[in-house]
Amino acid sequence: MTILVAEDEIIILKTIELRLKKDGHSVILTQDGREALKQIEDSEVDLIITDIMMPFASGLEIIEAVKRKPGKKIPVIVLSAMGQENVVLEAFQLGADDYITKPFSPNELSLRVKRFAPVSANAFT
Amino acid sequence: MQALNLTFLQIDTIVFIRAIYIFLVILSALFGIILGFTIYKRRIEKNKKAWHQSLAGIISQAIVLTEEETINITDEIKKLLKKSIFRRYVIDELIHALKNLSGASTLNLVHLYEILELNIDSFKKLHSKRWHIKAKGIQELGIMNQKKYSREIFRLTNHPNELVRNEAQCSIISLYGFSGLRFLNVAAYPISKLQQIELLNKLKGLKPKNSEGFKKWLQSSNESVVIFSLKLATSVNLHNLYDNVVNCLQSNCLEIKLNALEYIKKIPGENSAGIIVSHYFFNNKIFRLAIIDALRDIGSENEISFLLSLLHDEDDEIKAAGAKSLSWLHPLGADFLQAHSFADQDPWKNIFLEIKNERAA
Repeated sequence: MTILVAEDEIIILKTIELRLKKDGHSVILTQDGREALKQIEDSEVDLIITDIMMPFASGLEIIEAVKRKPGKKIPVIVLSAMGQENVVLEAFQLGADDYITKPFSPNELSLRVKRFAPVSANAFT
Repeated sequence: MQALNLTFLQIDTIVFIRAIYIFLVILSALFGIILGFTIYKRRIEKNKKAWHQSLAGIISQAIVLTEEETINITDEIKKLLKKSIFRRYVIDELIHALKNLSGASTLNLVHLYEILELNIDSFKKLHSKRWHIKAKGIQELGIMNQKKYSREIFRLTNHPNELVRNEAQCSIISLYGFSGLRFLNVAAYPISKLQQIELLNKLKGLKPKNSEGFKKWLQSSNESVVIFSLKLATSVNLHNLYDNVVNCLQSNCLEIKLNALEYIKKIPGENSAGIIVSHYFFNNKIFRLAIIDALRDIGSENEISFLLSLLHDEDDEIKAAGAKSLSWLHPLGADFLQAHSFADQDPWKNIFLEIKNERAA
């Protein structure tokens, strides 16, 4: 899968990149929301992992943009330190497919990503 | 005379010029110091940005490391690690990363911290004369699960500086959970309310192995230790402390009594309502109101006559509290008041309205 990761913390970003690459995915990294929105328009991605609090555009705006985009439905996993009920609910109402709160386990993230892999790809893992 | 005046004028001018000269020298020196400090700060910030990039690679590598893999520390990093400022920066970054992660990957970060011998840097901070450095060292060792330094950290749980003490108490709890509470045996200083909340949060979700320590702490001469133990016993539902907690109702400290009452409310014994009523007349208004309120939860029909007697109290607050508790215990509920001849008089009209609203809510 090609996965877009939007996260402003570089250590977390690189950790996710390494973990997902170990699983055989290709990864596009962005450190701000505006760049993530541009990548969604320009690139073919199969899954998005996004933080909520980011410069220029928030993760919630990214979910909105992805869900508005015509064509292929791209699943979105939110990875955020904001665990407040209202934020989680808003993310799901906007169309988020999963929500992970920080502190998080990279291994758990890897398994959650697998759930969104196409069935044919899953069959070989 | 004129010549003398001229000499004085000349002397004044010389002094004035010298003063200006000294002032300018001091000003230039100050300006130089500020400029130097600003340049130094900027250089550090610039360095940190560069370090951040190279460190991110190593830290993220360490996080996803499996048992078969080893971490590759570049020569650039090895060289930088000789600088104490860089080592301090690495510790901060590791702690920041650790706070964002859970599970097995946190062990990898701790391992990296130990490989780079940063634990020694943190330990050295414990011996600093400056309290904030000492507190930072304690915090780092606690977060990085460095049990081998627990003896030194334990000693600091009784440090005269409150912030050092608080940090040491939190670290000991992080390292040992309930077993770490043995610092309460020797706690010589008061534990602030904020610190009590902090410790309670750290212990959330854990269970004590036994209640032996609690029995000792409930008799501590340090009132804050008794209060904290009561709060903790209540939050973890320690049933076998009932008799020890009832003894706390005889304390001279109001806060101890109020917390003991909270425990009894949550974990009542056979005759809890009778016991607390027996303490009613020996206490002040605050505790009396707390007793009346507690009867709502643990009282029975046996306490109705006591509560009815409160309706004749001189104090309106006591009357109202008694009436409220009665509305929960009386077989007629909130309507019991209407049966009284004084139901239409003040303050009963308002009290009745308040009770009705409260019950409806």
